[in-house]
This record gives sequence, C-alpha cells and structure tokens, in this order.
Amino acid sequence: MMRELRYRDRDTVIHRLNPVVKLVWGIGLVVLSLLFSHPVYLVALLAVILIMIRLAGIWREWTPVLKLCLWLGVSIIIINALVSYHGDHVLAEAPFTLPVLGQPVITLEAIAYGAVMAVKLTIIISAFTFINLTVHPDDIMSVLLKMKLPYKSVLVTSLSTRFIPCLIDDAQRINDAYRTRGALPSTGNWFSRIKRQAGIIIPLLSSSLDRAIQVAEAMEARAFGTGQNRTYYKNVVLSGFDWLILVCVLLPLVAGILIRVFGYGDYEYFPVLQSIHFEGVPFILLGILLMLLLSVIPLAFIQRRVEFD
Amino acid sequence: MIELRDFTFTYNGAVKPALQDVNLAIEGGEFVLITGPSGGGKSTLCRCFNGLVPHFYGGTVGGKAEVQGMDILRTPPKELAMKVGMVFQDPENQLVTSDVEREIAFGLENLGFPVNLIARRVEEALDTVNIAGLRFRRHHELSGGEKQKVAIASVLALHPDVLVLDEPTSELDPQSAEEVLRLLERLNDELGITVVLVEHRLDRVVHLVDRLMQRLREKGLEFDELPLTVKEARLKLQKALGKVNTTRPADEHAAKDPVMNIDRMWFSYGDRTALRDISMTVNRGEFIAVMGRNASGKTTLVKHFNGLLRPGKGRITLDGVDTSRYSVDELSRWIGYVFQNPNDHLFADTVEEEVAFSLKNRGVAPEEIEKSVERMLQRFKLTEYRKSYPRSLSGGEKQRLALASVLVTGPRIIVLDEPTRGMDFALKQELTGFLTDYCRDGNAVVMVTHDVETVAECADRVVLLSEGRVVVDGSRREALSKALLFSPQVNRLAQALSSYGVADTTLTVDEMLGQIT
Repeated sequence: MMRELRYRDRDTVIHRLNPVVKLVWGIGLVVLSLLFSHPVYLVALLAVILIMIRLAGIWREWTPVLKLCLWLGVSIIIINALVSYHGDHVLAEAPFTLPVLGQPVITLEAIAYGAVMAVKLTIIISAFTFINLTVHPDDIMSVLLKMKLPYKSVLVTSLSTRFIPCLIDDAQRINDAYRTRGALPSTGNWFSRIKRQAGIIIPLLSSSLDRAIQVAEAMEARAFGTGQNRTYYKNVVLSGFDWLILVCVLLPLVAGILIRVFGYGDYEYFPVLQSIHFEGVPFILLGILLMLLLSVIPLAFIQRRVEFD
Repeated sequence: MIELRDFTFTYNGAVKPALQDVNLAIEGGEFVLITGPSGGGKSTLCRCFNGLVPHFYGGTVGGKAEVQGMDILRTPPKELAMKVGMVFQDPENQLVTSDVEREIAFGLENLGFPVNLIARRVEEALDTVNIAGLRFRRHHELSGGEKQKVAIASVLALHPDVLVLDEPTSELDPQSAEEVLRLLERLNDELGITVVLVEHRLDRVVHLVDRLMQRLREKGLEFDELPLTVKEARLKLQKALGKVNTTRPADEHAAKDPVMNIDRMWFSYGDRTALRDISMTVNRGEFIAVMGRNASGKTTLVKHFNGLLRPGKGRITLDGVDTSRYSVDELSRWIGYVFQNPNDHLFADTVEEEVAFSLKNRGVAPEEIEKSVERMLQRFKLTEYRKSYPRSLSGGEKQRLALASVLVTGPRIIVLDEPTRGMDFALKQELTGFLTDYCRDGNAVVMVTHDVETVAECADRVVLLSEGRVVVDGSRREALSKALLFSPQVNRLAQALSSYGVADTTLTVDEMLGQIT
C-alpha cells in the first residue's frame, strides 16, 4: 500500500494545475470539513473530494485508503457508542453500572455522532491523499520554501519521506532474516511474540544510520551547506491565470467561514438529533459553497485549452 | 593533478592509521584503477581526494595531500567539490532529491549558480551521460544502473577535473555494471576527465587472466608483459601457443539423491507473475547456482525453499514431505538462508551469542549450544573475536559470522542470495572454500549469483531463469560454455582458441592449464 501512495506523473487536468492551487484547495477542504458539523454539508464535501479524485485518475490508488477509512470509521462508531451515553433514544442498556461513567447505554444519537465523525475523517484523509497523489513532492517542497520556511528543515522533511520506502524494505528483509533464525516461532503467547519482534529494531536502526551517513556524505561531496546563498533551479511560478484560479479556490473558504458566521451549517446531535431541515436559505448556501469548490474543475479545463493554443 | 606525499590518516578513536605513508601521483587525463583487499583503505583514499577525509570524517592527518596544487587540508570542501566529483557505491543513498533534473541541479544550487546557468549545465550533463530520456523520471522508477548514471551526471554538472568512484558497480547486475564502466571509459577518452576508480570487477578479470598467463610463463611460454584484457590475452596466446593435448575437461557425475523437489510451481506478486511453472530437484551433495538477469525471479524462487514465500500453485517437498505444513521457523532447521548483506543477520551483542542465537531460539540444551558454538567459531576462524560486537567486524569476518550463525543448526540445504557481491577475490575464495566443504558432507548449496567466475569454479549445476521460467537446468559446462553473456573470462579465451585445439568447454584456469603443455 505504501508504494501505491507515491506520486506519479499523469496527464490529467488536475495534475496540470499549479501545485499551490492544489495545496490551497486541499487544505481549504480540510478546514471546511472541520468548520461544519451538519451531516448534509459533510456528505456534500465528501462527494466533492470524490469527484476530484475521480478526475485526477487516482481512484485505484485511493481505494485502499477508503478501506482504511472504513475500518477507522467503524471503530469510531463502535467506540463512541460504547463510551458516550448522551442522547435520549436509548437502543440498548447494560444491566450493570460502571464507576465514574454510570450505566452504559447505547443511544441513537451517539451512533449518529460517531458516523458523522467518520465521514469527517474520511474527507480529511482523502484530501491529504489527493494532495499526496497529485502534487510532486519536490513541488510541495518548493511551495514551502516560497512560504519562507527554512531550507534545511524542508529538505530534511522531504528526505525522510523519500527514504520511507527504503526503510520498509529494510524492515522486511531484516524481519525475514530474523524469522529464518528461528526467532519468531509461530507458537507462544502474543506478549512474548511482540517482545521477540522488538529484536529487529537494533539492526533496523543501525542500517538506517548507515544510510544517513552515506546520504550526508553524498550531500557534502556536492557542496551542500557551503554557506553561500543557495539558488533554486525549479521554482513554482504562478502565471496570471494561476493567480485567478488561486483566488477562486480561496473563495469557498471565505464563503464557508461566512456561512458559519451567519449560523448555518451547524447541527445538534444531543440530547435529540435535530431534524434535518434543509430547504430555503441553507440549501442555497450549500449550493453556492459547492459551486465555488468545484469551480476549479472548469477553470482547469480552460487553463489546458489556453496552454494548448 | 593529485599528489599525496607521505600521507597518513587515522580516524578518530582508531588505533591503527587507515592510510600510512601513502605516496601517489595522478596525472591529468589518466584512468586509474585502485585495487586491494577489502578493508585495505581504498575507500579512505578515495575520500581524501575530495576532502571528505578529513573534513567530513575528522581524524589525524600527517604528510601532504594536494589536488591541482591546492592543499586538501586548507581548501574548503566547496572548492574541492568543484574540482573533484565523487560517486559512491550505493546508488540509492546518494540521490538526495526525488527526480532526475533536480538531482543534477542539486550541487549547482548549493553553490549558488544562477538559474539560467544551472539549466545549461543540467542539459549538458544529461547529454554527456546520455540519459536525456530520463530527465523527468523519479528515482524510484529507475533501475540501479540508471540511478548510478544519474549520480555520475549530477557530479559532472559541477565540471570537475577528476571523477572519483568508490565501487560504483558493486550493487549492479553485470549488464548495468558494464554500461557504467563503458560510460567512464568514454568520459575519460572524449572529455579528458581524470577517472579514479575502485572496482572489484576489473580486479577479478585482471586477476584470473593474469594468473593463467603467469602459470603459463612458469611452464615455459614467453610473454613480454602480462595482458590486462581477454583480447590482449588472446592475441598473446595465439602467438605463443605450442602443443595442445586432447584431454577434454569433464565432470564426474555423482549419483542423484534428491532431498528437495519442486513440482510445477507458480507464484505472483499481486498482478505480476514472478514464477511460471517451475520444476526442479535439489540433490544431496550438490552445489547449484541460480542465475539470470535482474528481476528474472531468482530471489523469489529461493525464498520458497524455506517458506518465506509460499507457492501460488504447485508444491514443494522436502524428503517427500510437503513443506506447506511447516512454518518458516520449523523449515529453518533443515534449510539455512544467508541474506546478501551480512548486516541483516546480526542481532546479538557478541559474536559468541550471535552464533548461539538460532540454537537458543530452538531451546537446545546449554552444554550442547556451547559445544556447537565452539566448533563453529573454530571452523570459521572467529575464536579470537568471540567477545567482540558483531557489527564492528570487517566485511569478510561479518560474512563468516553470518555463515557460522546459519550453519550452526546443521541445515541440510543452505541458500545464499548473492553472497559474493562486492567481495574481493580472496574473500570469495574463502567463502567458496567453506561452501564446497559443506557440500562434501552430503549437504546441498543453492546460490543465487551473477558471478560467472565463481560458478565456473565450484557449481555442479546451473539453473538459469528468465522471466520467471527455468530456461536452462544442466551441468555448469552445458550452461556456461559457448554462451556469450554467462560465460567466464577463461571460457571466452578458450572459445577464441578452439581452432588451436583448446576445448571450447573449458571453464577454469586449471582446466586450461591441463590442456596446454
């Protein structure tokens, strides 16, 4: 799964968008999903990110992420239902009481709340997956540098992400060697097995350190950190049209904040689920928000036309 | 261009100097090969040319080292980086960014070159190394050989006068290695770049052909000087060759006594089929070499032997018993597995404990363990290091320790994945010595390797894989002679001399000597 989540060049309108645009759009979506608690808004936001993922042609890479989200979502719903006893619609009652928590009950409201949290989490993870799969990691680095983050910190971050696949390979290999030495018998209780598993940490650490020294050496040999003003060969440059799109992807964020300021998009789960009253003003507002979020798609198509001409 | 006078260097905390009183002069435009045993200070020497020693590593320096008249000690690494480019062994660990263009630009960016000049240099470097087609690729999409070329390009972009390469091909398969070496030759020929190369592969070639000629000299044949390549050797031998006797090299065929049997096995990683319809037998006392191009399924195949991978279709039997019933842990009693990098084998705090590790895991009685460990330490000449920390041993010692720690359980089959990669000639001989001894006791050795010379010396049988299929399964003589890519140097020589009566199935130096009187 880790390997599939690596960026790959593709020729889609989304991949052609400026990295700054994609970053702002994706982070904007995450902020929006945190702003709203109304289920209709959240489902709509989920639909928006799915449309973008589809358009970017990364549906196949995203499906394992969805699987992860489902697992997380189900566990959130279960845990929330088991520990949150608010809400008036009791579906089940425990025949005993717990200290501090009181009598455990499972309520419809707690389940609904858990479900909406799961949707939120899916939106956030999907948005980051979208950024990860459509923005070249070096471009992310360039954007961060443009935001005046210190070069060395940015480089360390990008280096460590680059070497994650190597680390996974190392771990796999060392684990195989460990198994062939009879160190991980299929018998024994889980505690002793976990303890034995920890034996691969030292060799893994030492191979990572070797790697780190070699990388440092290679950088030193190419005049890294010589103290002069470093130049940057590839910069993220925003064209006039990019600026236009950038403004357009900032609009939904502004709109979302205004909607919340005027008191829409909120939802009460406890003690009783609020009725999903959704016509008139809230409906129109959501429509506007979605239009603004999706406006990036026609703009992306127009940009490609312009570039081809 | 490069001059060392009485140069001595000691790493911090080391007792003995890594380099002692080195005197050396390299002229501009030369192609210099540095050879020597593992642990002989080759890497340290390389690193002093561009100031990594002592600027990066730190240590005590004596004597004088100059590059183009600049004192290495007093010149900042920045300036040295522009004079001396350095390429390292592991292609993965010297690429800093994540795509080819940025990688080539990295050094120039560090030096603060203006963007338009960087663009020009990147273009130049891509063309010089002939990898313009890779420019937008990301590193994980490249093969090892391509990565190494990118590393060379990224150094060339700085316009160095000297290119220093520390075993640049030891992690590559033979074809990619050949390409990288040819590239270096061209850079030296056409651009006049001084190349300083540490390389085992050339070392081996020179060594074998040299040894043959040296011994022919002892037999009375006259050569003015020893040849360096197969071509030179051929020309010299053609002139000097006298009588050739008609004894043909032959192998004795031992009775076949199967221990492991693989029956119509298939395997795939997700959508990619890695092994197709593999059937083969491993016999007692047999030394099998598994060969083939990269990604032809060699490692995938041998990982099935001890259950690290399980067949998708087909079955594997050990002494007639289906192995699918046993875990890796249980199978490892009968089948030992030695990974390519001995570091992956080292889990314990002392050499002694390392050897005892597998036995302890299996709950063997302490007196028993002590006896077995003692035997192994003696056999692998590790007794004096018994209390040492395994990772502080030298490369060859680590390899012996890895072998000892696997053989201590007395497996019937031992699988080795590219054990000779990056080893010098002496270490290889030592290893194959242990392995043939082990075979003689009625055990089987299965070795995945690219190393044709080693196979020619000691394998009984060769299994050649291609695209996950067995394409050749036969004696080494059938598999290695008359083939172009997979034939050893001596065989290439013999093929060229077959019109003089030398058998074209000759594989080793000794066989060749047996024919020439």
